[in-house]
Amino acid sequence: MYHYLLTFSKRGDLRFISHLDLLRTFVRSARRAGIPIACSKGYNPQPKFVFAAPLAVGIEGENEYLDLYLKEPWETDKISESLNMQLPAGLKVHKIRQVDLNRPPLSATVGAALYKVLFSPVSPDLEQALHDIISADTVLLERKGKKDKKTLNIRPFIYLLSMKKLEGEKGVLFMLLATGNKGGTRPQEIMSLLPLGDSGGRTKIKIFRKDLFVMYNNRFKTPEGLSPSEYLE
Amino acid sequence: MSNHYLGDLLERVRKPARYLGKEVNAVFKNPGQVKVHLALAFPDLYEVGMSHLGLKILYALANRLPDVYAERVFAPGADMEEILRGENLPLFSLESNTALQNFDLVGFSLQYELSYTAVLNMLDLGGIPLYSSERKEADPFILGGGPTALNPEPLAPFFDFFVLGDGEEVLPEILREYASWKDKGRGKREDFLEIIARIPGIYVPGFYEPVYSQGNFSNMRPLKENVPLCIEKRTVVDLENAFYPESFVVPYMEVVHDRATLELFRGCSRGCRFCQAGFTYRPVRERSLNKLKELAGAIIDNTGYEELSLSSLSSSDYSQIEKLIDELQDQFQQQDVSLSLPSLRADVFALKLADKVQRNRTGGVTFAPEAGSQRLRNVINKQVTEDEILEAAAQAVKAGRSHIKLYFMIGLPTETEEDLREIAGLARKISGLRRTVKSKRRPFKVIISASTFVPKPHTPFQWEPQLDLKLIKERQELLRQSLRGVKGVDFTWHEAGMSFLEAVFARGDRRLAPVLERAFRMGSRLDAWSDSFDFSLWEEAFKKEGIEPEYYAYFHPETSAPLPWDHISTGVSKHFLISEYKKALEEKNTGDCRKNGCAGCGLENCPIQVGEAGCTTIS
Repeated sequence: MYHYLLTFSKRGDLRFISHLDLLRTFVRSARRAGIPIACSKGYNPQPKFVFAAPLAVGIEGENEYLDLYLKEPWETDKISESLNMQLPAGLKVHKIRQVDLNRPPLSATVGAALYKVLFSPVSPDLEQALHDIISADTVLLERKGKKDKKTLNIRPFIYLLSMKKLEGEKGVLFMLLATGNKGGTRPQEIMSLLPLGDSGGRTKIKIFRKDLFVMYNNRFKTPEGLSPSEYLE
Repeated sequence: MSNHYLGDLLERVRKPARYLGKEVNAVFKNPGQVKVHLALAFPDLYEVGMSHLGLKILYALANRLPDVYAERVFAPGADMEEILRGENLPLFSLESNTALQNFDLVGFSLQYELSYTAVLNMLDLGGIPLYSSERKEADPFILGGGPTALNPEPLAPFFDFFVLGDGEEVLPEILREYASWKDKGRGKREDFLEIIARIPGIYVPGFYEPVYSQGNFSNMRPLKENVPLCIEKRTVVDLENAFYPESFVVPYMEVVHDRATLELFRGCSRGCRFCQAGFTYRPVRERSLNKLKELAGAIIDNTGYEELSLSSLSSSDYSQIEKLIDELQDQFQQQDVSLSLPSLRADVFALKLADKVQRNRTGGVTFAPEAGSQRLRNVINKQVTEDEILEAAAQAVKAGRSHIKLYFMIGLPTETEEDLREIAGLARKISGLRRTVKSKRRPFKVIISASTFVPKPHTPFQWEPQLDLKLIKERQELLRQSLRGVKGVDFTWHEAGMSFLEAVFARGDRRLAPVLERAFRMGSRLDAWSDSFDFSLWEEAFKKEGIEPEYYAYFHPETSAPLPWDHISTGVSKHFLISEYKKALEEKNTGDCRKNGCAGCGLENCPIQVGEAGCTTIS
C-alpha cells in the first residue's frame, strides 16, 4: 500500500455538500480517474480515504487535507492531474506528496483550525464581547445532542480571536479553534455567543477555513510548516 | 435567480445539496440559445426523484437534442417551501435556476397517487395556474407521464396533456412539434394541443368531457372532431436499439437508490393479477447480453459508481441472467463494482443469484410471496409454492444470512382470516428452521412486511373493491396477534389510510380534482412520506367538496360497466382482463406466456402472438 497526503480546497457552492457527500464525491472521482484505491479489510471493505477534519456544511475550505492510500504506486503529479480532471468545479487538489505508510493520517494529529469569518453589519458591542470571551476563564455553551442537552466549557478550545472592521459595515474575524480527537469547537458556536447585527435584521455571515494545524514542539504549524500568524491579515 | 441569491437561500435550509445541482454529469446549456426549454419535474424530494430511472433516461435523451435543454426540478422540502413562499420566490430548476413558469414545457413524472398534491404545490410555487383552463399564452404546457398517467382522470383539469406508455420515442416527437410550432410564431395554446393530440399516445384531457349517469361514470364525450376515441399507450418495440444513457448524474447527497442502474428488460410475463406494471409494461423486451455489457462498462466508467443494479420488474427472469452476472463480474473485477438485484422471486434460483452477486452473504434476503396461502396465491397468480419458499429460506439460513424479509399484502380479493393465519404459519415454519438447519453464524430474524392491496386500473382486479378500512386495521391487528410468540419475528405494516387514498385516486374520475386542490390548499404535501401524512386533513377535504371517498375505494362495478379509464388502452384487451378476473375467483393460475405459450392478452407488437388491441367501451 502507498500513502499520499493531498491538500485540496472546497470552494463556492460546493460548501453546501456535507462531509459524507465529499467523501463519496472524492471516491467516485478517483474511481472515474482509474486511480487504484486501496480498501480497508473486513466484511464491508471501504476505500481508504481519510479526511483530516470534517468541514461543516456552509463553510469553504481553502487548505483541506486528505490521506489517500493506493494499491499501486502512482506518480504524485499523475494522481493530482487525473483527480482534478474528474472532480466537480469547486473541488481542487493543490498539492500532493507521498508520505511514510506508517505515518498516522493527519486526522489523528490535527489539533487546530483557523477560520476567517466575514460578516456584516458589525455590532457596536462586538469588540467588548470578544474581549470578555478572551479574558474569561470559562465560556459555557449548551450543546444539543440527539436526546439531551449538555453544557460545557469551550474556553480551552479557543486559542485566538481577532477582529478587524472593514469598509462599509463589514467585519472580519479570525478564530483559531481546537479541532480533532481531543475535542474542539466550531466557528458557528462562537458566533452564537456574539452580539450580531444591530436592528434585529439578519447578519450575513460567510465562513472560510484557512488551514489546519498540528502541534510541533509546542507550536501550531500547518502540514506545510506555516504558522497561524502568517494568515492573519 | 442569481448565484449569489441561491447561495443565500441554501445557507438557510437543512439539506442544501437537494437544490444545489452542479453534480457530475449534469448538463449545462444556455437556456437562451435553445428552442425548447423543458423542465423534468418529479413531485417528490431530490433523494427520491434522483433514484428514478425514467427521469434519468428522459434527461439524457432530451439533452442529446441540440435544440432542447432539459432541466430537473424536484419538490422542495418544508423548510425551502417556507422560505420561497415567505419571500415570494418561485420554485426553480436545478441547472440554470430558472423559475418553473419560464419553461416552455413542464413534464411531471407520475409514479404514485400520493404525489398528486405535490404536483399542485410545485405548479403553484412555480407561478403556474393550477388549472389548464386558466393558463395564458405565456405559461408553459404541463404534461404528465408514468404509471398513474394510465388513469389520469383525477388530475385531468390540471394537465394540458398526458403521455401514455414508454417515453423514449414520443418525447422527441413532442419536442419537435413544439419547436416547429414556436418557429411558426406560436399561436393559441389550443392549436398546439390539437397538433399533438394527433401523436399516438398523447391524451389531451381538455378535448374530452366525462358524462355521468346516476352518479356513475357513463362515457367520455369528445369535444372536438378528429380526436381519437381510444388513446393507446406507446411501446418501444426495439428496446435493444432504443436510447439508454451511458452516463448518469452522480448526486452529492445520498439518494434512496445510490447506484448505477442497468435496465435488463422492460415488461414482465408472470401475470400477477394485482400488479399494474405486469399488465401495462407488456410485452417483455430484453436487451442483449452484449448490449448490456457495453452499457454497463460505459456507465461505470462515466459515473464511478461502486454498485450496479440489474434492474427490471423481475430480474431473475432475464433469459441469460447467470451468464450476464458472471460476465459482468469478470468485466468489473479490476474496478471493484458490486452488482445488485432488486425484486427477487421467492425461490431457490433467485437465492442462488442473490448469493452470486453479494460478496457479503451474511446480509438479509427479501422475498415477496404476497399471500400466505396457496389458495390465495392462486387467486393472485403468484406462482410460487410454500415448499419453494421454505427451501429458499432454509438455504438462506444455512448461508448465515441475518434476516429473511417476506412481503405480503393484506386485503387481497377473496382473502379470509384463514389466509392471514397462514402468513403466521409460514413465518413460524421459517423461524423453526433455526432448529433444523445448521446456520453458519448467528440467529436470524424473520421480517414480515404487510402492505395493503390497492386495486389498480388496467389489471384483472380493477373491478374489485378495496377491503374496508376498518377491516384492514382489524386484519393488521389479527396478523400482529398471530405472529406474537413466534421466535425472532418482526412485523411491519403499511399505514392503511395511505392505501385507502391510493385506492381512491387510482380508480378515480375527474370529480376528484377539486378534492386534490382542496387538500393541497389545506396543506397536504408529500403524502407518500408517513411523517407528513395527515389522514384527517384528507377526510376534511373530501367532506368540504361533498365527495365520498368510499365510493371510489369500494367501487365494485359489473365487468360490463363503463370505467373512467376505458378510453385509454394499454394494449391488453378488456376481454383478457375479464377472463383473468374470473380465473382469479376460480383460484386458477395462468402460466407465464414466455414459457407456457400465449395466454391471449391481446397485445399487438408482441413477439409471442399478435392480438386485438384497443379500447372496449367508448361511445
